[in-house]
Amino acid sequence: MKILVAVKRVVDYNVKVRPKSDGSDVDLANVKMSINPFCEIAVEEAVRLAEKGLATEVVAVSVGPKQAQEQLRTALALGADRAVLVETDESLEPLAIAKCLKAVCDAESPDIILMGKQAIDGDNNQTGQMLSALLDCSQATFASELTLDGGKAVVIREVDGGLQTLELSLPAIVTSDLRLNEPRYASLPNIMKAKRKSLDVKTPDDLGVSIAPRVTLLGVELPAERQAGIKVDDVAMLVDKLKNEAKVIS
Amino acid sequence: MLPQRVIEQLIDIVGESRLLFEADDLQRFGVDRTTLWQAAPCAVVLPGTVEEVQSIVRLANQCNLAIVPSGGRTGLSGGAVAKDGELVVALDRINQVIDFNPMDRSVTVGAGMITGHLQQFAEEQGLFYPVDFAASGSSQIGGNIATNAGGIKVVKYGMTRNWVAGLKVVNGAGDIIELNKGLAKNNTGYDLRHLFIGSEGTLGLICEATIQLARAPLESSVMVMGVENFAEIVDVLTCFSRDLDLSAFEFFSQQALDKVISHRGHTEPFKTETAFYALLEFEHSSPDILDKAMALFEHCVDVGWVVDGVISQSQSQAKNLWKLREDISGTLWQWQPYKNDISVRISRMADFLEDVDQLVMEQYPDFEVIWYGHIGDGNLHLNILKPEAFSVDQFHSKCVNVSEEIGQLLAKYEGSVSAEHGVGLLKKDYLHYSRSAVEMDMMRSIKRAFDPNYIMNPGKLFD
Ligand SMILES: Cc1cc2nc3c(=O)[nH]c(=O)nc-3n(C[C@H](O)[C@H](O)[C@H](O)COP(=O)(O)OP(=O)(O)OC[C@H]3O[C@@H](n4cnc5c(N)ncnc54)[C@H](O)[C@@H]3O)c2cc1C
Ligand SMILES: Cc1cc2nc3c(=O)[nH]c(=O)nc-3n(C[C@H](O)[C@H](O)[C@H](O)COP(=O)(O)OP(=O)(O)OC[C@H]3O[C@@H](n4cnc5c(N)ncnc54)[C@H](O)[C@@H]3O)c2cc1C
Repeated sequence: MKILVAVKRVVDYNVKVRPKSDGSDVDLANVKMSINPFCEIAVEEAVRLAEKGLATEVVAVSVGPKQAQEQLRTALALGADRAVLVETDESLEPLAIAKCLKAVCDAESPDIILMGKQAIDGDNNQTGQMLSALLDCSQATFASELTLDGGKAVVIREVDGGLQTLELSLPAIVTSDLRLNEPRYASLPNIMKAKRKSLDVKTPDDLGVSIAPRVTLLGVELPAERQAGIKVDDVAMLVDKLKNEAKVIS
Repeated sequence: MLPQRVIEQLIDIVGESRLLFEADDLQRFGVDRTTLWQAAPCAVVLPGTVEEVQSIVRLANQCNLAIVPSGGRTGLSGGAVAKDGELVVALDRINQVIDFNPMDRSVTVGAGMITGHLQQFAEEQGLFYPVDFAASGSSQIGGNIATNAGGIKVVKYGMTRNWVAGLKVVNGAGDIIELNKGLAKNNTGYDLRHLFIGSEGTLGLICEATIQLARAPLESSVMVMGVENFAEIVDVLTCFSRDLDLSAFEFFSQQALDKVISHRGHTEPFKTETAFYALLEFEHSSPDILDKAMALFEHCVDVGWVVDGVISQSQSQAKNLWKLREDISGTLWQWQPYKNDISVRISRMADFLEDVDQLVMEQYPDFEVIWYGHIGDGNLHLNILKPEAFSVDQFHSKCVNVSEEIGQLLAKYEGSVSAEHGVGLLKKDYLHYSRSAVEMDMMRSIKRAFDPNYIMNPGKLFD
């Protein structure tokens, strides 16, 4: 069984992002970039399946700039066997990424495609679903548990109000939620070994995919700043403020 | 009990609501993080200005009332313990940013400001306050200065002392004195500011501090490596610090890691178990720095010092790796540990470690001993956990014996009985292992000069 796992390079989860001074976009100059946390979980899941002997090959794929090789090397260090980068400096919408991934899937024919449920840069939560439509294959989003059973995948999904269990025929797309697993650290010996693993670079043109944007970004701004709270001396003052200033009670 | 007359005078100075007598206030303000002494202050007073502090100290001089200065009470040596009816003067209310000067890259703050708030303020200005440790969310700048706190970034940034550009203090005699006024160069005789740094409340009350801020650090990576032999941690340190500018180098034992993982639910760095772990951090000061670090790691593996290792791939991972080290102290709390905070020069560390290890194995065969510390600074935290069967007193008296032997060993290696936590009540009996009789006499003379009536934190540091 072959697993393809998608890996996106995004702003590090701990960075406080700011708009550029002209408000045209998020300022990414000198900002720490990392692997999208949900993709990291997807990689971990793929590697665990390989370690259990359930997967024979794990291929990590990223669509993004040249520097996304760093995140692919991380995936290789975590245990992926080889990597493919679809290199482009264009700003990428979910559909463009899904199309690129489709082209890679057509060439690789994976049985399972593991992805993050969303990337924390755009928070779109669209790519997995779009890829499923393009490939016309089954999908299970928001997975918190994945088991392989014969030729089927059984996925427990986190849905509003509880858990849902799906049985999927393969090939299938599974997108990871936070509780699917806890990713390991990349070990230094494995990082060194990862340097010798193969990393293919292609372009969207090579794959015959058009990634031209369909959405124009008009501007980015910070949310309105929240006012600091105040301390009141006693209940009477609290009631007075609620009545006369906040006007939430009468 | 305070005489009614004194109570009235204190209320005149600070107002009724700023003078506390309730049992839980006395308990809360009367002890630090040590668990060996009972809180018994006569009252707690919360001044709001330097002038109020001065009035309190003058009053205390008139009625011969002992004062215990209180910061965040995160101290680990009993410096902020009031066990003999002293008046606790807590600086909590003097905690404002008084003046920020971007040109000098310095900020003047009230001494009661929480360390973490200063770090946050610096960050908001695009700058950095580099003194950091697990208690910085509760400790105060005044307390940090009074103990010359160290922490996890000393390898690169040094101790609190390095960042104090000026102080406004009230000495034991009740004078308000401005020391150094934020100047970078000021060769006008004795630098009294430096006497207050590390004085543990025995010379006077630190009320305001002008703090130098650093440039914001670059992106950094954290590595954790497994090491089998105690002494080889020093080899790893030497190897890395020769070629990299480290911003931290810490170590901890497998037992420490086990406890942190089982009590805090953290993930282990890697599956291979090793006796010790070294944690280091470096900034990305050049494009090839990661390759350099990797090559050093390879070398350490090749010569057999290091067995396995990981490196952070994101800031979340860096933070999580740090937690393995930073959560040790808090995790050990439930065992009421006897804490040794000792240091020797790095060049003597390997031999010293071997000797202490042997001493501890002989002396504490049935106690659980946990090692960790800021080993990049030659600073070891040796924690002895209290077995349940022992009472606190029994346990303490047993530990005191061993402390004598560790003291002798430190004297032989010209080390310190208190690397960064200060002397307080806990270490004063061992001070003579690090300071000569002449030095002790001079320290007493200095105290007399600042605090003629001996009202400032009496019984701490020395008798
Ligand atoms: C989990 C944990 C981790 C720690 N890690 C470290 C570490 O890595 N490095 C380190 O150095 N320390 C460490 N400590 C010890 C402690 O946090 C430091 O000593 C800290 O500087 C104490 O500050 P504080 O405000 O809590 O002082 P307190 O405990 O309130 O007081 C300490 C001493 O300073 C005096 N004092 C306080 N404020 C003033 C003032 N305004 N004027 C005059 N004297 C004053 C007190 O009288 C007392 O003698 C740790 C403590 C804990 C609990
Ligand atoms: C051309 C020139 C340029 C200079 N530039 C600078 C400069 O850029 N920065 C700067 O800081 N200074 C400068 N100086 C001043 C001077 O050189 C420094 O103050 C220097 O440190 C003095 O050292 P010294 O050995 O000559 O001391 P001395 O002049 O011999 O003594 C200076 C003081 O130190 C005491 N003293 C000397 N030796 C000892 C000792 N072993 N133990 C105890 N006390 C001792 C003396 O009693 C005296 O009080 C300059 C001087 C000249 C002539």
